[in-house]
Amino acid sequence: MMLPKKGDPVLVQGITGTYGRLHTKMMLEYGTNVAAGVTPGKGGQSVEGVPVFDNVGDAVRESGAKASVCFVPAEFTYSAGREALEAGIRLLVLITEHVPIRDELKLVQLAQAKGASIIGPNCPGVIIPSQRVKLGIMPAPSFSPGSVALYSRSGTLTYEIAGQLTGNGLGQSVAVGIGGDPINGTTPIEWMDFVQGMENTKAVVVVGEIGGDAEERLARHIQKSGYRKPIVSYIAGRHAPKEKKMGHAGAIIYGNVGTADSKIKALTGAGVKVAMSPSQVPQLVRQSLG
Amino acid sequence: MRLFEYQAKDLFRSYGLPLPKSIRADNVQGVLDAFGKLSHPVAMKSQVLAGGRGKAGGIAIVSDAAKAQQEAQRIFDLPIGGEKPTSLLVEEAYPHDSEMYLSVSLDRGDRSFVTIAAMAGGVDVESMAGKVIRKVPLEGIDERFAAEVATLLKLPSSQSGQFVKILLSLERLSREKECELAEINPLAVGKDGTLMPLDAKVIIDDNALFRHPEFAKLHPEDEFEGEASRQGFAFVRLGGDIAVVGNGAGLVLSTLDLVGDAGGSPACFLDLGGGAQKDRVEAALRLVNRLPGVNRILVNIYGGITRSTDVAAGINAVLASGAVRPIYARVSGAEEEEARKLLVGTPVKLYGTAPEAVDAVVKGA
Repeated sequence: MMLPKKGDPVLVQGITGTYGRLHTKMMLEYGTNVAAGVTPGKGGQSVEGVPVFDNVGDAVRESGAKASVCFVPAEFTYSAGREALEAGIRLLVLITEHVPIRDELKLVQLAQAKGASIIGPNCPGVIIPSQRVKLGIMPAPSFSPGSVALYSRSGTLTYEIAGQLTGNGLGQSVAVGIGGDPINGTTPIEWMDFVQGMENTKAVVVVGEIGGDAEERLARHIQKSGYRKPIVSYIAGRHAPKEKKMGHAGAIIYGNVGTADSKIKALTGAGVKVAMSPSQVPQLVRQSLG
Repeated sequence: MRLFEYQAKDLFRSYGLPLPKSIRADNVQGVLDAFGKLSHPVAMKSQVLAGGRGKAGGIAIVSDAAKAQQEAQRIFDLPIGGEKPTSLLVEEAYPHDSEMYLSVSLDRGDRSFVTIAAMAGGVDVESMAGKVIRKVPLEGIDERFAAEVATLLKLPSSQSGQFVKILLSLERLSREKECELAEINPLAVGKDGTLMPLDAKVIIDDNALFRHPEFAKLHPEDEFEGEASRQGFAFVRLGGDIAVVGNGAGLVLSTLDLVGDAGGSPACFLDLGGGAQKDRVEAALRLVNRLPGVNRILVNIYGGITRSTDVAAGINAVLASGAVRPIYARVSGAEEEEARKLLVGTPVKLYGTAPEAVDAVVKGA
């Protein structure tokens, strides 16, 4: 995965929509170099001083962007994502919620074939505080530069926990929302392996929730690979009912698969310290840093 | 969206899958009429979405009309997982020697669809021994793929042809209707070797429903879930007395845990979604305020894109319009100071952290 550095040009797809406009402004304010936008049929306009193009190919050629943040509605996310990947985008951040599963799978397969990375869909994006780079919708004041890497399946919980870390003097090297859908463009294991290679990262916070077996798989991976950085986790949904979608498409327990207890047990067994509430996370991180 | 068994079976029929003869009935008289038209014995099955229907007593096999009437009444009155059936499926019982399992489902971890088949049915797929699992390409499978699964199951040649047809139909259905799960459990093996699906479970990808308008309005919606869905809230009814409202699915889920840990009982999960403005906050509070059994409301907001001042204004608008259950709120993040000022002097109980707000709402202090 190639995360942008300070000043690297970034593209916004769906830049002329309500959310595209709002977050282009907020990303620019944070320091992200939003260099081009795309909305078919709106080429030649500008949003917050950012030139708008009709297609990704033109925008990439003019801006040199290797990363794109996509706000395109769910019905069109697949075609917008495909266009970006085919135009040479290396990091595609899909903010949009409600993308059909089969569209997500097709995009994941295409990204794999191209050697590109996808973050999301249904996510707040990624932020690298030390670089003043924000590709997404997270509120900047919750985040601060530091050495804790944070990933989460939930948007607001990312902000909440980042805010608590920041309030306790624990800044973040990178924070990402991997998405609340059953399919994630970047899996927890891929993300954790990437973070392991980040020199400025001393500890990792893993925020999971009910549904699927991503945390159980991660726990096996941590043990098998001998993960070298301390990990603190919080899993939401210990009191959630079965067979009910709890807001996120991916947050559902089917039968005995996807319970919080199973995830907490697996992570604890792999040596991960598991917090029982978001407010416990900072103190566990501090303990694990020694 | 999970389909009722009868809806899933209608879909199965349209894809040419074999099924026993069945008639759906909305009341006891309808069951008796159906009983008169079918050969006996019949299985009468509660049409609920909750799992564990058989174990809960939601299925009866009957051969005479008196028993059919008695059992139909019992099943109509029997809630399963809090849900009473609005109809029963009356189906000719299919005499069989053994049962199989067959499904096409999403494997989240592998990020692909898979078909799972086993020579034992009726039980939980997790605990099934000797199952065959094959990755299903997004573009679909062919006869050779299906025949390989039959071979791996060591099916006798008299059954493998039938099996191939069934798997091909099930996979096509799953792909064309964008199912998360299309499952036949059990797939009965009749005394003469005929394969027959006895139950049908179909879950459609909610996010793909815009491409499948035929499934819209298939369900009788709960009044509150219907309204929440029209307003664009993520909403789940839970049956306790504390309504839990917040912004962001993960945050609300985590709030339910705090309430549960403190010994409280949530009445609902309501996620306002990102960037909620005053009128959406107001609509959400009005909705949960009307929910039967609710006597306190907990609002947990972490402001970011959602502005705390908008939330405070929404709360004030509800308060201004009259009777509302006691509101306990934790409002933090963007513009929290201004939001607090807006709520000072109102009956809203304000807290600085989620644990404090939860502690207070559970105690009813």
